[in-house]
Amino acid sequence: MDWPTFIQTIANSIVASSIYASIAVGLALCFGVMQMANFAHGEFFMLGAYVVFVLNAMLGLPYPFVVLLAALFVGFVGLVVEQTIFKRTRGNVLAGFMATAGLGMILQVIVGQLWGFALMKTIPTPYPETVSILGAQIGVQRLLIVPGAILSVGLLWYFLHHSRIGKGLRACAQDQEAAALQGISVVRMGALAMVLAGMLAGFAGALMAPVHAVTPYMGHAVVLTAFIVVVVGGMASVEGAIVASILFGFVHTFAATIFDSVVASMIGVVVMIVVLVAKPKGLMGRAKA
Amino acid sequence: MTLLSVDNITVQYGRVPAVRGVSLEVHEGEIVTLIGANGAGKSTTIRSISGLNTPTSGSITFQGEKISNLTPDKIATLGITQSPEGRRVFPYMSVHENLEMGAFQLKSSAELRRNMEIVHVHFPVLKERHKQLAGTLSGGQQQMLAIGRALMSNPKLLLLDEPTLGLSPLLSQQLAKIVRDLHETGLTILLVEQNARMALNLADRGYVLETGEIVLEGPASELRSNEEIQKMYLGG
Ligand SMILES: Nc1ncnc2c1ncn2[C@@H]1O[C@H](COP(=O)(O)OP(=O)(O)OP(=O)(O)O)[C@@H](O)[C@H]1O
Ligand SMILES: [Mg+2]
Repeated sequence: MDWPTFIQTIANSIVASSIYASIAVGLALCFGVMQMANFAHGEFFMLGAYVVFVLNAMLGLPYPFVVLLAALFVGFVGLVVEQTIFKRTRGNVLAGFMATAGLGMILQVIVGQLWGFALMKTIPTPYPETVSILGAQIGVQRLLIVPGAILSVGLLWYFLHHSRIGKGLRACAQDQEAAALQGISVVRMGALAMVLAGMLAGFAGALMAPVHAVTPYMGHAVVLTAFIVVVVGGMASVEGAIVASILFGFVHTFAATIFDSVVASMIGVVVMIVVLVAKPKGLMGRAKA
Repeated sequence: MTLLSVDNITVQYGRVPAVRGVSLEVHEGEIVTLIGANGAGKSTTIRSISGLNTPTSGSITFQGEKISNLTPDKIATLGITQSPEGRRVFPYMSVHENLEMGAFQLKSSAELRRNMEIVHVHFPVLKERHKQLAGTLSGGQQQMLAIGRALMSNPKLLLLDEPTLGLSPLLSQQLAKIVRDLHETGLTILLVEQNARMALNLADRGYVLETGEIVLEGPASELRSNEEIQKMYLGG
């Protein structure tokens, strides 16, 4: 690997880490608060990208505005999914899994019917410039993803640790019954977790849209990695998901550059197994599920 | 005046009833204790009052309002809080944050600060360790935190599920004194205990639960001198 490729790969790893983080923290949050896994979470990411495709590439609305709209729209989708699916399947992980996995497929088909299945959508890059960093050329759009993701994950973290409602979310994730005994509505907190998770995933999709192949299936690969990241991070731990995202961002990107993406995925799974053998509860695993 | 009245409730886990036709009353300003052996159904009863379990029949009323169909968070906001069995503190939150969660339902931060000060007076150790993660506290400290947390909303009725479980005799005595202090401030308390001696010394009245049914009830002084209770629960 020559020097510019190496720098390029580091940059790509950082970008991948931040995208994984902004997708995985939402999954981890929902899993913690509701003890439910949202298998349509990858499609939330996809929807965020399609909001950019429709409003920016097709209708010409300004990119930053559209990114914001994507976050709001997908946050709303999160709320709808909570109200229609998780409210009914609460406490039944399998039912929630089936329903959201089905929803994911439905969303893929709807989007495909509306805007086509096969062809990848091209979205004009709002920031086509490249900058030279230590001899490597790196696209500005890619670099913008990093502060964008850090900002959104950072805001979530701040919210969880410094606001009354955010602390209530953490309380629910640590002990639902004890949280309910404090007057915290576990149902409302679940809805809020889904809104926040949707906003983060939609935001990530919108940031990635100009540099990622936009197809109805784009959420698929992302959500698999996000699930691995959440498992490795310790299921319900937002902090663990962030640490694991960085780990996987680097491992996966380097393996994909040196070998190919299939090998990278295999190595990813091996890393997961190694971590789970060494620490069965994940990097930041918690005593109680 | 009757604050809480549990009326003929039956609670089942699956098809097995854990509690059958239990009735009890708590009047304003009382300490009432519910004693009984392992598995008698004490926790099941107290969990039903908080809405964590739903009775299959019978009803529970609080200040004249039926609460047995409400969710636990709603019941907590009506003024019934609980220090649950096993403490159940939020392990990855600081002592301070745990207490803040106890005040989740309060709207004013002045009220939160005032209640925090009161809790710190009862449990100075919670002030000393306010930054420490709750999961790293000793068992006794966690018990104090669980009770402190339940006091943070200034409840009308405090439910305590085996607060002395696993504590040293010295700590248990300390805790008993705090319960008495709380009672003297006018707080109404329903105390669940396996430690019948301590409970009957603290309480005004008591109920004895055996395999899911109330078998005896009366003033604590009467229960203390009851022969059967002496044999079964007081070791003499
Ligand atoms: N979650 C549950 N699922 C099934 N059975 C349960 C459950 N919780 C309690 N039980 C059963 O219900 C009965 C009453 O249990 P409960 O916990 O109310 O007793 P307890 O008086 O609080 O006992 P302890 O002193 O051990 O705390 C017991 O037979 C117990 O095995
Ligand atoms: Mg019990």
